[in-house]
Amino acid sequence: MNKTKQIMIADDDDAILDALGAMLEYKGYEVRPVLNGKGLTEMQNELPDLLLLDIWMSGVDGRDICKKLKAGNVTSKMPIVLISASKDIHTSAMEAGADDFLAKPFEIEELYKMIELHTAV
Amino acid sequence: MNKTELIFSQQFYKEIFYNSPVAKLILDPIGPDYRILDVNDAYLKATNSIREKLIGKSVFAAFPANPSDEGSKNIERTIYSFEQAIQTGKPYTMSNYRYDIPIPGTNEFEERYWTTINIPIVDEKGVVQYFIHCPSNVTEIIKLAEREKQGIEALKAQREQLFSFFMQAPVAIGIFKGAGYVVELINPPLCKLYGKTMEEFLGKPIFDVLTEIKGHGFEELLDKVRLTGESFKGEGVLVPLKRNGQVENIYVDFVYEPFRENDGSISGVIAIATEVTSQVKANLKVIEAEERARLAVDAAGLGTFDLDLKTGEMITSEQFARIFGLAKPVSRKEYIEKFHPDDRQLRDEAHKLVLETGKLEYEVRILWPDQSIHWIRVDGKLYYGVKNKPARILGTLLDVTLERKANEEQKKLFTLVNNSVDLMAILELDGTNSYINEAGKNMLGFESDSEVKKIPISQLHRPEDFEMVEKEVLPSVMQKGQWAGVMKVKHLKTREIFPVFNNTIRIDDPVSGNPIAVGAVMRDLRPEMSAKQALEESEEFLRTITTATPTGLWMSDENGHITYVNQTWIDWTGIPFEKHLGTEWLNAIYEEDRNFVVEKFTEKMKERVTGDAEFRMKNADGVIHWYIATGKPQFKEGIFTGYIGACVDISEQKQIQIQKDNFIAIASHELKTPVTSIKAYSQVLEMILAGKGENKEAAMVSKMGTQLNRLIDLINDLLDVTKLNSGKLQFNDVEFDFNPMVKDLIEDLQRTTRRHTIVEDFADTGTVFGDKERIGQVVTNFITNAIKYSPNSEKIIVHTSLKDDEVIVCVEDFGIGISENHQKKVFEQFYRVSGDMQHTFPGLGLGLYISSEIILREGGRIWVNSSPGEGSSFCFALPVVHKQGN
Repeated sequence: MNKTKQIMIADDDDAILDALGAMLEYKGYEVRPVLNGKGLTEMQNELPDLLLLDIWMSGVDGRDICKKLKAGNVTSKMPIVLISASKDIHTSAMEAGADDFLAKPFEIEELYKMIELHTAV
Repeated sequence: MNKTELIFSQQFYKEIFYNSPVAKLILDPIGPDYRILDVNDAYLKATNSIREKLIGKSVFAAFPANPSDEGSKNIERTIYSFEQAIQTGKPYTMSNYRYDIPIPGTNEFEERYWTTINIPIVDEKGVVQYFIHCPSNVTEIIKLAEREKQGIEALKAQREQLFSFFMQAPVAIGIFKGAGYVVELINPPLCKLYGKTMEEFLGKPIFDVLTEIKGHGFEELLDKVRLTGESFKGEGVLVPLKRNGQVENIYVDFVYEPFRENDGSISGVIAIATEVTSQVKANLKVIEAEERARLAVDAAGLGTFDLDLKTGEMITSEQFARIFGLAKPVSRKEYIEKFHPDDRQLRDEAHKLVLETGKLEYEVRILWPDQSIHWIRVDGKLYYGVKNKPARILGTLLDVTLERKANEEQKKLFTLVNNSVDLMAILELDGTNSYINEAGKNMLGFESDSEVKKIPISQLHRPEDFEMVEKEVLPSVMQKGQWAGVMKVKHLKTREIFPVFNNTIRIDDPVSGNPIAVGAVMRDLRPEMSAKQALEESEEFLRTITTATPTGLWMSDENGHITYVNQTWIDWTGIPFEKHLGTEWLNAIYEEDRNFVVEKFTEKMKERVTGDAEFRMKNADGVIHWYIATGKPQFKEGIFTGYIGACVDISEQKQIQIQKDNFIAIASHELKTPVTSIKAYSQVLEMILAGKGENKEAAMVSKMGTQLNRLIDLINDLLDVTKLNSGKLQFNDVEFDFNPMVKDLIEDLQRTTRRHTIVEDFADTGTVFGDKERIGQVVTNFITNAIKYSPNSEKIIVHTSLKDDEVIVCVEDFGIGISENHQKKVFEQFYRVSGDMQHTFPGLGLGLYISSEIILREGGRIWVNSSPGEGSSFCFALPVVHKQGN
């Protein structure tokens, strides 16, 4: 049996965190919700298998966090999928170093596929 | 009785007596009875008598005198004859006397003439016993003699008449006898013709008297007539005759006839002559007059014609043809064809009228073979023939084109003068006007032309103004030929003094060069002055407006250099007027927008079309404002002269628009967040329920997900429109295979409808360079519309093809369709198609607008073909990418 994959979700909306959590748990992932992306950039150990990072959070831009994490020694290899309600920032999301981009709202299958893709060994 | 018996006894003699063819009567010589003793048969026959009634009767009783033969002395003469014969004893003859005899059975008598011998018979004693009366009927002889006598008298009278006629004849006659032509007879007219008396001619050879005509050939003519017997006729022969001492040339018509004697021999010549000098001269004059008339006709350029009304034939002169632009005369029909179509009726009417008035007169246009128009005048006269019927029209034709033109020009000139708004006048040298046109009369208050001539010009000015006329104007005109300038005149009636611009010229006699009059043209300056004033006022008004208006105004020349900005613009920028001229105005524009403004202005100016641009400008107060400037190209007589434009401060509108866009962006973003959670929950819930085998519940949650997707689409549309309007819609262009993209979309959409089958009708399209997601959005929009608007049909066909380097997609449905006048509108923002009932079909009316904007921004085309009730076909075309080396 594979080790249960740990997915970290960063969003400023409780409902999103809860709903996404439900989706991922249903699929058997271990979910680590982070409200508003607090303390993400200080993260050095116990890294998740993948980070679902919202772009537009109160006071913080997910792309900035992404850039920092991708620039960090430890966190640079952690797969990051940027999430936004705006489709148009797809390009800027990729430019921020994200591994992928997901527009809200999305189909559940789309999310599963993307996680599988980026967490495959 | 004894004597009687004696004779009867001699029977033989009796027989001889009775049967003698000579009428005999034996009478008793005793008067006064002279009884009839016997009578023979011839006598009875000659006198219509019966013997028994005569015997024994007195001869005078037997033959009474004719009572109607009045004055007859026959009885007396008879008695005298009887007595002579008895007394002398010798026969006595009574000759040729009338003694009428009665016609038996009537009371009438027959005229008879007689010659009678009374023969006495004497006995031995010399006594007359009886006598024999022998009448011979000489009536016929007498009558014949009478007739002969009458004939001679008649001949005599005839001869006298002939002579009288000869002498009195108005025709000159002469008889010249023999080879010498001796004048035997000459009548006074011939004498008069020769200019000599009768005595000078008679008995003399004619050529001895008329020596002047010797050797002119008359001798030979006379000889020929005399010798051949053939008459000779000469007409209008010139004869030089000496009259009253000098030779005159006279003209004579004459006949020489041979003079024949009774035996037929020719003894001379009869000359009959008529002097025709006056006729000949008259004829010559007629010929001369004709010649002159012909010359006049030629000189006047008149064409002539002779129209036979019976046959319709018309003879025309060469000039007539030339006036028609023809080389030679043609038929009447051909001439008529040359008449200007508009004038043919005029001509026809003139020809009808000629039968009433006898005169033909009209002026019409004709067309020459080169189609040039000429005016002609026709004058003619009608001539009557037998029974007073119209027979012909003779007349002339004249080209009056030049006259017409001159007339027209004169008319035009006169019209021009009379309709001129300026005064035009002719001033005579005595100081009065001889002519002022209508405008002039009105200007100065003249009521009539006679008033114009009466009133001296001194009354048309104030004394001080007239002084100028006398001292400056007129001397200048007389000396230099002209004066022009402003002067003051006075209205005759209102006394108003007003300025005029006067241009006066001297009019000289073209021959002598001496001045004969002065011509003046005057313009009333009052309207111009008031117009000038009005112009100044309106300029002031405009200046006020342009300053007061909250709009910036500007003007540029044809090179785009600013030549004017108004006070409002100056106030906005806080920069003085001069610092905006040329291209300096750009400095006032916000730096970021400057290039855009220059580009836009240059582009529009190149095309010389109206344009507008939005830009920012830092105002004098340091605040950045938004402006929209519009410019309109100006043309003078078709030549581009520059732009005139206006600027409006749109900062406030701009702010509101930005706020609106921001609001929608934020609102739709905020909406998406809860929707995302709901969607996530519903999807998980659906899976859980399905996992538990609670399929009914799972299906319900699935339906909820579909409705959520609809909500998401609406939110996306709102966001897209906001972005389109603010120009913030981003395109992520990549190269992609076209058909697979469409195929994926069809698969997804097929799941959303059970009723419809989406049919693929693909042709090879290759790859397209563009925003895959956005283009897909258009395909999706087309297909979802097709589903939505064809609720009663079951098929939707998606066609793809490649044509002329364009990928074409058409989504065909068999739904309600769109009427033609709505087809153009479907791509407009907020347009919604209505079904049978309003609001049957849900939606914001943004989908096709967004699709249209996407396709246009990707460089493609979008359109629709549709028939109401049959369905629609929505299409777009995108340029394909050419792979390298292909």
